[in-house]
Amino acid sequence: MEFDKKNLLKLGKLARILIKDENLDSLSEDLNSILKFVDQLKEIKTDHVDPTSNSLEQILLSRKDIVEKINETEDILENAPEKEMEFYVVPKVIE
Amino acid sequence: MTENLSIKQASDLLKSKHISSKELIQTYLKKIKAGKELNCFNFISEETALLDATKSDERRASNSLKGDFDGIPIGVKDLFCTQGILTTASSKILSNFIPNYESTVTMNCKESGLISLGKLNCDEFAMGSTNKTSYFGPVKNPWRPKDSKIDLVPGGSSGGSAAAVAADLCIASLGTDTGGSIRQPASFTGTVGLKPSYGRVSRWGIVAFASSLDQAGPITKTVDDAAIMLDIISGHDKKDSTSSIKEKENYSKNINSNVKGMKIGFPKEFMSDDLPKSTLKAWEECKDLLKSNGAEIINISLPHTMSALPTYYIIAPAEASSNLARYDGVRYGLREKGNDLIDMYERTRSEGFGDEVKRRILIGTYVLSSGYYDAYYLKAQKVRSLIKDDFNKAFEKVDAILTPSTPSTAFEIANEPNDPVQNYFNDIFTVPVNLAGIPGISLPFANDEKNLPIGLQLITNSFEEQKLLNIAKNIEETVQYQAVPEKWWTQ
Repeated sequence: MEFDKKNLLKLGKLARILIKDENLDSLSEDLNSILKFVDQLKEIKTDHVDPTSNSLEQILLSRKDIVEKINETEDILENAPEKEMEFYVVPKVIE
Repeated sequence: MTENLSIKQASDLLKSKHISSKELIQTYLKKIKAGKELNCFNFISEETALLDATKSDERRASNSLKGDFDGIPIGVKDLFCTQGILTTASSKILSNFIPNYESTVTMNCKESGLISLGKLNCDEFAMGSTNKTSYFGPVKNPWRPKDSKIDLVPGGSSGGSAAAVAADLCIASLGTDTGGSIRQPASFTGTVGLKPSYGRVSRWGIVAFASSLDQAGPITKTVDDAAIMLDIISGHDKKDSTSSIKEKENYSKNINSNVKGMKIGFPKEFMSDDLPKSTLKAWEECKDLLKSNGAEIINISLPHTMSALPTYYIIAPAEASSNLARYDGVRYGLREKGNDLIDMYERTRSEGFGDEVKRRILIGTYVLSSGYYDAYYLKAQKVRSLIKDDFNKAFEKVDAILTPSTPSTAFEIANEPNDPVQNYFNDIFTVPVNLAGIPGISLPFANDEKNLPIGLQLITNSFEEQKLLNIAKNIEETVQYQAVPEKWWTQ
């Protein structure tokens, strides 16, 4: 696939990044170049090869479910761009 | 007395009471101020560092030290969350973020008495190999070509961490390495950069880039210091389920530079006509050096080496697009006003992320999207298996692999390729190591014809950091190469 204006805008929507009109051309050029580069993998035979998602050969560990006093609401809200009482404030989502 | 100190030397000075921790910190704060032009630090923790030093001196007076390295100043890549101290990942989107928790790695350093001088500049979200993607501007490499005033990149993404150690603005530093971000800048600055095995060091509290590849490690002046730092930062962490439960070794105590009978692999796929002559020469000389020290050199093949970079540029952006979804302007960081919630998200992310980060998020979103997942992401994960398998087979025959760290020495900051893919080639020799999850170290070996340091990379099998450090130490001892740049920034 080639990144043209239409599918680049769609990709921006999926990634929640506003793509400005003035950046469309250079961005599509860059992304097409990256895609062309990674496309060379298509030539490698991978029939009967299992994927590796993580190189660590270790079973997932579990730990005891003990409540620890970290990440208190008040501390976390310190970094909120906008807050009210114990809540984050966001633009209205319900009509 | 306080020029280019290693951790070991600083520790001896403190022990023999030739200097107090407070004096040491004051000396380094002065050096940092004098080196402002290098732009290594995003944030200098002057007050807390001085306070920590006073406490360390008190502990020394009362014989209650936290360890042999209590009171020694280090720098921390601005990717580690530090409680109460600005942590930005060199991004606009996190430029006001103050974590309320401490990363495990920096906590381990604190518990050993190491003192942070501040947060070091890096590529934005660790994405880059020049340090030019930082929101706070590029770091300058302390090295300049002979008889010239041209500014060079320090490499990246841990460019500030490497430059600060090379310029002696701190004694050692912490970096992270997802595709070469410790080893490549170490190579460009004449420092020692160690990327441990995936799982050797906890990732908890490090701003995530690509979670199956990210690993923290030290940048130091000597191999011994790298071993000391690894002793301090490594080990299982219950907060990171991908940290290994394997017992760690006492790397600095057990270091042994004898390489007699060791088998060192020389991979033909790393050989290229594009390699600078001086790099080739250094690589060959190192091979001869190990041979004359009693090691056996074995030619090996890692057939999928050339596929590593395209594999990485699918897997890393895919994981990044998922990890960076959290920056939405709701809970922390930058928020831009929008007409509705979606509009707010889109404007925040458009304004808050730089160009390279956006490119990677978009590519990552694409390769994970329905219809393309199998063709790209799954395909890359399969090729990753082939790359890992190449190394497994090689390590049946050899103890370690020797390669150049980078395809060139440091280049000009002003030199900007039009195509982002060109920049990606900086990591061609380091990326396979991350994909396989094995450890690698870059150590300075010689200067090239422009008087810039050349780094060589050693690679061992997973969790064989001790062997890696032993061989590195052998090379360091034999070559006796002092990589110290001229301090032009103090004039």
